Amino acid sequence: MPKVYNWQIGREMEYPYEGVRPQKQFAMIMDTNKCIACQTCTIACKTTWTPGRGQEAMFWNNVETKPYGFYPMGWDVKILEKLGVQEVGDKVYKGKTLFEAAPEGERVLGYLPDDLDYAHPNIGEDDCTGLMTQGAFLQMPHMQWMYYLPRICNHCTYAACLGACPRQSIYKRPEDGIVLLDQQRCRGYRECVRGCPYKKVYFNPITRVSEKCIGCYPAVENNRQTQCTTTCIGKIRLNGFITTPDKAREDNPMDYLIHIAKIAKPLYPQFGLEPNVYYIPPIQVPPAYLIQMFGWGTEQAIKTYRQASEDKRLLGALLLFGATPDIIHHFKVEGRYTIGYDEAGAELVRVPLREPIHIRVVYDDKHQTYRSNMT
Amino acid sequence: MLASAGVLIAAAIALLPGAHGAETALQAIRMTGMGPILSLDAPEWNRAKPVTVQMLPQMVATPRHPNPAVKELMVRAAHNGHWLAFLIEWKDATRNERIVADEFGDQVAVQFPVRFKPDAMPSPMMGHPGGRVNILQWRAAFQRDIEKGEPQVRDLYPNAVVDLYPDQVLRATDARPYTGALGVDNPISRPKESAVLDQMAEGFGSMTVKPDQRADGRGEWKGGKWRVVITTPLWVEAPGSPHFMPGGNSIVAFAVWDGGKQEVGSRKAWSGWLPLRFAR
Repeated sequence: MPKVYNWQIGREMEYPYEGVRPQKQFAMIMDTNKCIACQTCTIACKTTWTPGRGQEAMFWNNVETKPYGFYPMGWDVKILEKLGVQEVGDKVYKGKTLFEAAPEGERVLGYLPDDLDYAHPNIGEDDCTGLMTQGAFLQMPHMQWMYYLPRICNHCTYAACLGACPRQSIYKRPEDGIVLLDQQRCRGYRECVRGCPYKKVYFNPITRVSEKCIGCYPAVENNRQTQCTTTCIGKIRLNGFITTPDKAREDNPMDYLIHIAKIAKPLYPQFGLEPNVYYIPPIQVPPAYLIQMFGWGTEQAIKTYRQASEDKRLLGALLLFGATPDIIHHFKVEGRYTIGYDEAGAELVRVPLREPIHIRVVYDDKHQTYRSNMT
Repeated sequence: MLASAGVLIAAAIALLPGAHGAETALQAIRMTGMGPILSLDAPEWNRAKPVTVQMLPQMVATPRHPNPAVKELMVRAAHNGHWLAFLIEWKDATRNERIVADEFGDQVAVQFPVRFKPDAMPSPMMGHPGGRVNILQWRAAFQRDIEKGEPQVRDLYPNAVVDLYPDQVLRATDARPYTGALGVDNPISRPKESAVLDQMAEGFGSMTVKPDQRADGRGEWKGGKWRVVITTPLWVEAPGSPHFMPGGNSIVAFAVWDGGKQEVGSRKAWSGWLPLRFAR
């Protein structure tokens, strides 16, 4: 197998194809601390892309409760168990990726979920790790915890679905790095379903071929962020383009948050796919779990994130989440505002770093009434 | 790169004499009649000498399949001057024709070189660049579609509850984007007129369904055994179609999948080339 460089694990690794990076790479950052699992993203995606026949149990976007929520059932614990205990948490990953751990004659270590694994997309919702004992109070990190993990296709740099397909029916677009599955070429072998560790390729039993998240490419081609991003009521998502760490641009909000402030982390980087959806880790969750899920630097990411209010630039980048439906290519913090720009440098949005505070007197003379201090 | 390595190994395997019963010729007897040969029980089949074809694990292209379920096929061949047919029988404990995420269908395929040249045979493993093969693949699921109608979601999941599909409220052209592979006329998805896909290939991963679909077939599963007949015209002027004639020669190879053992695509059993002789 050819060798490719994966910056998330800080080393070269094996991949079935030569490494060619796209001109731009679609990416998304999700702030898990702000997600309330309202599933607006899930429904926005569902109504836009998968209301058809054979797509009944198919959610290209889903939100699951961690640690006991899964869609499909047990997707991450199953592949972690197959991969075995690996040493994670260092900048240079010493363990095996899924490509390196592939059994003889296979391209990637994977498994095919059972059909019924897709039957309970919201299983484990709001389940906590355990009960609090009488008289206990929460400390940081929490002793008993849960959090919400929104998931779409990671549009991986080294996509396992793409690597696993024996027909090259899956391709990565050179213009934006979005990974697409050719609906004309696919023959429904399900090697991609088996190979993708995130289980973000789905089989449609009516068309008998596989389908996956298309990164809302018609929107992205028109400089718009994805449906799951723009409909998010909690403004937890930012969708844009990421560059590699050596070419990181400080004025690109994605690069800034991922490469410079380092507060957004990939999902299971040890799998070796270089996924392009990044997560701001939940601050209340014990580090051991988070390091397994988001890799090295997770504790520092939380520390930096918790001090964001003192860092104008970081605050400025974070306030761009949900501020505009357009893709922000550049940003700068100027005075009291953070400003987002499109690729050509035209201003898209201006967000105040601090919302102005209005203090209303308790008694309103004009209307001769008392006001409660609710907003 | 994967494909080119595969072709080299496949070419080497193709040259191994007698490695997989290649010395046993399959004699296509002359039958009466004119049209497609679709009968599984025509008494004339008894005149055709059955050949046992040893099936091999697919160990060249990844993903490989070291332990295929089906170890041998029993094959008979016949033609009626217009159509060629194979009667293929093999043991399979389960009839698999339901296709959902973790269920696969039983399948069997017959392969010929598109142009047979004894000194330049294509790789038996789906041909090679420049060595094009014609592959006729019978699928149990397609036959089920033809016999019982294409499954709707309630056929696959009897308790499914669905509010509304786009095609119930939109005009056909507007609903088309929601039909996935069906909307782009993927031959795997589109409504079937035949249980056999007529295809061509020039190596692993290059399988292409031909625009011209004439082959047909029919299968019957009884008592842990499949009996399948696959038929195709002797001579068609169409890209990827071989030319056979009474009294002529060619070669033939087979592949088989047990859906119940999750065999699909390259996870299959295959045979080397067998000589195929046509009675006058």
